[in-house]
This record gives sequence, structure tokens and C-alpha cells, in this order.
Amino acid sequence: MRKSVKAALLSASLLVSVPAIVQAQEAIFAVTAREVGAPSYNPITATKLNSANSLIFDRLLLQDADQSFHGLLATSWESSPDGMQWTFKLKPGVKFHNGEPFNARTIEWWVPKFAGTENAYTVAAIERVEVVDDLTVRFHMKTPDPNLLFNLASSFMGVPAPKAYDALGDKFGVAEAIGTGPFKMEKFTVGQQTVLVRNDDYTWGSDLSQNKGPAKIKRLTVREIPEDSTAFLELKTGGVDLVYTVPTDFLPRLQAEKNIKVMTIPGTEIVYMPINTSVAPFTDIKVREAVALAINQKAILDTLYGGAGAAAHTFLISSLEEAKVDPKYQISYNPDRARALLDEAGWKVGANGIRAKDGQPLQVKLWTQNGTEFKRITEVVQAQLKAIGVQADITVFDASTINAQYRKKTEHQLAVRSYSWTNADIIDWFFSAKRLGYPNVSMLDDPQAEALNDTAMNKSKTWDERVRNFRAYHEYVLSRFAFAPIYEPANSFAFNTKKLTLPATIRGTRLTSQSIIDTDAAK
Amino acid sequence: MFDYILRRLLFLVPVFFAVSFVIFMIIHLVPGDPIDHILQVGSTDQQRAAMTARYGLDKPLIAQYGIWLIKLAQGDLGEAIILRQPVTDLIVQNLPHSLTLGGLALIFSTVVGIAAGAIAALNRDGWTDRSVMTVILFGSTVPSFWLGLLMILLFAVQLEWFPVSGARSASALVLPVLTVGLGGVALIARVTRAAMLDIARRDFVMMLHAKGLSPWRIHLRHVLRHAMLPVVTILGLRIGWILGGAVTIEYVFARPGLGSLLITSLGQRDYPVVQGCLLMLAIAVMLGTLVGDIVQAAMDPRIREGAR
Repeated sequence: MRKSVKAALLSASLLVSVPAIVQAQEAIFAVTAREVGAPSYNPITATKLNSANSLIFDRLLLQDADQSFHGLLATSWESSPDGMQWTFKLKPGVKFHNGEPFNARTIEWWVPKFAGTENAYTVAAIERVEVVDDLTVRFHMKTPDPNLLFNLASSFMGVPAPKAYDALGDKFGVAEAIGTGPFKMEKFTVGQQTVLVRNDDYTWGSDLSQNKGPAKIKRLTVREIPEDSTAFLELKTGGVDLVYTVPTDFLPRLQAEKNIKVMTIPGTEIVYMPINTSVAPFTDIKVREAVALAINQKAILDTLYGGAGAAAHTFLISSLEEAKVDPKYQISYNPDRARALLDEAGWKVGANGIRAKDGQPLQVKLWTQNGTEFKRITEVVQAQLKAIGVQADITVFDASTINAQYRKKTEHQLAVRSYSWTNADIIDWFFSAKRLGYPNVSMLDDPQAEALNDTAMNKSKTWDERVRNFRAYHEYVLSRFAFAPIYEPANSFAFNTKKLTLPATIRGTRLTSQSIIDTDAAK
Repeated sequence: MFDYILRRLLFLVPVFFAVSFVIFMIIHLVPGDPIDHILQVGSTDQQRAAMTARYGLDKPLIAQYGIWLIKLAQGDLGEAIILRQPVTDLIVQNLPHSLTLGGLALIFSTVVGIAAGAIAALNRDGWTDRSVMTVILFGSTVPSFWLGLLMILLFAVQLEWFPVSGARSASALVLPVLTVGLGGVALIARVTRAAMLDIARRDFVMMLHAKGLSPWRIHLRHVLRHAMLPVVTILGLRIGWILGGAVTIEYVFARPGLGSLLITSLGQRDYPVVQGCLLMLAIAVMLGTLVGDIVQAAMDPRIREGAR
């Protein structure tokens, strides 16, 4: 019954359309919720890109998981001692997918194109670009920018083909997307899928790849599947060969599947609890420190995530140099000290286990946004706060609504949030007094913090100096207990071992072109 | 008949304006805005203000509504803030997929609903009647999101009859159509059953029994035909519901369509896209109701006479 019905349905489907039969050396990858809906592959103007972007466009540099920089379109770079000039040597023999040559004139054309776009900040410190010779370009800076290498390695710094870009205008990235990457875009349907074909001329992979090119996969379809359960089932049934991002609560089920392997690379995300320093009871630093110390990071890591990832004790991901603060500033679980601090602050434990002061219970709002993981962490945080006598009432918002609520500045007290960023300037984004409400949900408005912010952001001339200045800023923010660090997720992806062979070690901060060109599809 | 249709069409004009106003105001009054989804780390308040002005979001709401209406009159639904494409283009790309899914689901729920209702009516209060109505009730009360995942687990994962998701073959339509369609079967079946039982008590039916016609022939050729009037009314209302009901199903099955577009744009507060999609759904409901009323009037002259 089963086979005959199945055969009949398959025959019927063949009559009306061509089914998606995957040929040898072809693969199907899936991007999920966070990456679904990228409107185009225009790296200059886009505010949202997905993982396929790195397969179409190369950047000057790539960043490894240890935060080191590796050349891709650039072979070497150096900065003048005063930081006012950067000289890049470019890789010879590189061509765009349409045959246009890549050289110094490309970069001269490329940098000014960012003006007026949302990504302009990445090159804002460059005053002009000088073509020294065909393969050498020099940036003359307005001010020293030790962050320039990080910006140039960002996913928005893919270099598009100049003539094609100017000719296509707004259609670039939708109808066509032409870069120098290991894959060419054959077709793009917004919100559905991108079909890529191998760039057979590609021979300039970075040292993060064993294979310098061409890629081993001939044809790659990147599907967009917004629902995590659906993506998991597609992987389980062989509908897709790889899922780029796997939610942590799916890991046990995936690890139980015979033909599916889960690989984990260091994450780029931090989950934390901002504390509104401008409203009672958190205007008292003792109360802030108490709630921060009440968070048992290890228990959350072990019970919710089965040990995958790491406990967070600072505001930055652990691979950043600026995260390596003096241990006395790290925020770790210490319920005894938390209780002692609340006692000192005058909050006495009542008969119901909840503290009170002057007849007022220690009852606070705990906001979170919708999503299974957020809700789970928030419920655990609520329980951990209760253990020290703090009653936290949870409210769940959608992602857009909660930002609008934060902007009211005095409505929120505690929240569970996360960010994904691989640079210390995220401390400026979330704690600068210039952005009170949102994104400065902690409402930190501290003159010393602002002075340290200014030094870190604007007065660092070299990378090492920047690291030192940001570390000092980071330590100060930690000392003010403007937040409680909770969890540092690992970045997990899963693939079908019968269909794909991936390199044993994944280089880079994400699964991008440097690993995909080393990936083999089953014949 | 022409007068009747003209009156109904004219009535739609004020309804359209009222609906467009409500759609516009609701999405703009909900907290959140699209600029948060565009701003990059490091953006300044000035950049935020410039972006807000660029998209006209700094103007008073009533002025924004007026501008939108004027563009609407010219057939321009505006440009998506996040997706940066004309909303008309996005709808044109996605609407056929929703119409295909919705149309097939409507046909499925109509055929199965009428058949189930007729079978139940013919076996009134018997085990067939109770079994059919129980199964239908289950299919219609289970949340469609969950039903969709159940369908995937059973038919795609366990039995491997159909693809899990996507829109790359006709077989990928089967599970979404079943999921959306099952939700509508119960209502149509119940209306059909109730209408048939009501018609069966009429004098002319008793006359047909007295003439010696078989019960099957009486019910299928005479009773069912008369019972279609209330079913047609329901179907007219269902047209809009079917499109709206497909919203979560398109998301679960990773299918293109107005539903997927609406959910994504709603989360990002992409106002022009949300307004355009909701307007399309509202127009579908209005036109569906109109078609239902016209078919009903064509079937029953008393309705169009009574409307004069």
C-alpha cells in the first residue's frame, strides 16, 4: 500500500513539475530563523546578509576564531606608526565572476561607495584611497582607526565587481551578484533559496583553507527555513545536507541520529541580564551586585545546555583579548555574598522567603523576549533570584516591542537579552550614556565610564593600545554591576555524514567560505 | 441582478476605507519600529533621526496615512523598508503561492466537508454520523501549526511520502493543503449536515418520499442542492480565512507566500509590507464575501428581490 501510493504520488508530481533531485557533487544547505529573509546580496548597502554571502564575495581579510586576521584578497598589510596610513598588498591573478580584474583600482572605487549607506561606519575613518601600484593600495586616514582590520573582515566588506555594480544599480544583489568568491550566484529567490554554482577559476583561497580552490562542491543550494523544527526534520530525512545554526535544545536529538554529526565552534554571542541602574531598588549598587551574584552560570550551562558552550563571567566573548580582565572583576555565582549584601542594604527576609524593606517587598520586573531559549533561561533566572529573596515577575515581549519599551527608560528593571558581536566596541554600544534606554538598557550614565569610553573609542592609536583601553573600560563597567553575565553559547551546526565530508577543524568565527571550499559532497 | 451587484460593489468602497484606516493605525500603534532592524552597532542618534525622516516616519500618523492612501490610489503600495523592494513586487511574487495553497485547500475543504456533512446527515445519530463529526472536530480544533508539524512527522519523516518543506515540487503542496484544508472541513461539514437535516423536514421532501424515490436519490439530488445555499455563504467567508489561515502554515513548511512575508515583516515592523499584505487579505475577504453573496443571489431570487 505504502509503495504503490508513494509511486503514484511521485508520478503525479513528475507530471507537473521537475522534482528537486540532487546530482552528485551537489549539496543543499539550510539557513534558519536569524538568517532568513536577507533582502539582497549587496554587501555595500545591505543591513542583513546570510551565510551564502561569503561564498559569493571575498573580503580583504578574514578573522579566525582566535581573533587573528588572515589575508584573502589582501596578502599583507601594515600601518604607519601614527596610524594615519594603512598599506595593503593585494593578491595577484584574482578575477570577478564576470571576468573583471580585481586590483588596486577596485579598492579605490569600492571604499567611497559606502558613503551614505548604513555600513558607512566601517570605512568612516578613511579619508582617501591611493593607488600605489596595480596590487598596492594605501588608505589615508582621517584619524587613527585600530579597528580597521576588524571592519574590513566583517561580512559586509565583500567586494563586488565595479562595472556590474554600477550597471545594475538597485538590482545588484537581487538579479545578479558578482564577486570573486568560490561560488557564483545562479538564482536568488528572497526568503526561499539561493542557487550557487562553483567558480571554476577560483584559486586564491586563504590560509584558513587547505584547498585554495576551486571548491569541491559543484552546485550548492542554500535554502531558507524559518522554523527550527522543520529544518531539523529536513536534515533528518535527507532533504538538506547541512543546517548552519542548530538551537542548543536540538543538540541531544541530533547527536542521537546515526548519520548526523554536530560540530561546534567558539560562539560569538553572550546572554546577559542588564540591570536598570536608574530605578529603585537598583540605584543601590549593593542590590545590583547581589542580583548579579545570584546568577548560577554553571547550573544554567549544565541543566539547560548539557555543558555545551561556556559560563559567561564578563560582558565579552572569551576569545577577545579585552575579555581577559583582572579576575577580581569577573562576576560569578556567590549566593552567600548576595544575601549578605541584601542584608546590608536593609532588605530583610520575610515569612514567605521574599525580602522587604520599609514595608515594600523586593519585587522586580524581569523582561524577556519571545523564543524558547529566552523563556527557559529567564525562568531559571527567576528561580535563582527567588533563592536570595528577590521576587521577579516575568513579562515576555516580541523583539520589536521590547526595544520600544526599553526606550521608555523607567519601565524596566531586569531583563534577559543577548547580543552577537566579536569586537569590544560592543561595550560602547550597550553602555554609552549617548544611548540611554536602548541599546543602553542598563541606563548606565557614569562620568568615569564615559571618560574611559572616550579613551577606548577615540584615543587609541594602535591595536594593543585599544585592547588596553577597552579592558580598562570593561573592568569599570563590570565594577558597577550594570549587568549580570549568564551564558556564552557555542556555535553549532549539523550535517549529514553520508552526504558531506567537512574538514576536521573549522577555521574562522563562523562556517563560511574558508571551510566550505574544503567540504566534499558524496559522489 | 446587475443592480444587486452594483449596490454590493458600491458598499465595498466605504468598507475599504475603513479597513485601510484600521490596518494602518494598528501596525503603527503597536510598539517597535523598523529602524531598530536597520541600525548597525555604532549608529548615532543623528543617523537614527535621518533614517526615520528618510522613510517618512517622523510625520504625524494621519499625514503618513494620507500619503499612503494617495500612493494607493496610484497603484503604489510603497517600498519595503527592510527588504528594499517595491511592496507591489513582493506581493506579486508571493501572492500566486498563497492563492495556489489557499485555492487547493478551499477545494479540498469544500469537497471533503460537503461529502462528510452529507454522509453524517444520511446516517443521523448513527455511529457513522458520530465518527465522522468526531474526526472532523479533531482536525479543526487542533492548532494548525501543531497539525502541520504532525503531518510532517507522519507523512514526511515516518512514511517518507512527501517532502518535509519547501515549494520545489507539486508533491510539496500536499501536506500544507491538507493542513490548511482540514481546518475548514469541520465548519463546512457541520453547516452541510445541519442544512440537509433542516431541508429533509420540508414538505416537498416528504412528497418525494411519498412518490417512492429512494432516500439516496432524494438526499443527493434534491436535499443537498437546497442545502448548498448556506454552504455558499460560508465558502464566501472562507476565501479570506483560507488565505489568512495559511500564514503560519507557510512558515512551518518554509513555503513562499503572503503568510511568510507577513510574519517576517511583522516581526521587523516593516510597515509598508505589513500594510500591503493585510490589505490584500482584507480585499480577499471582501471579494470572497461579495462572490458568495452574488452566487447566493443567483441561486435564490428571493435574496436579490429582498435587497431592493
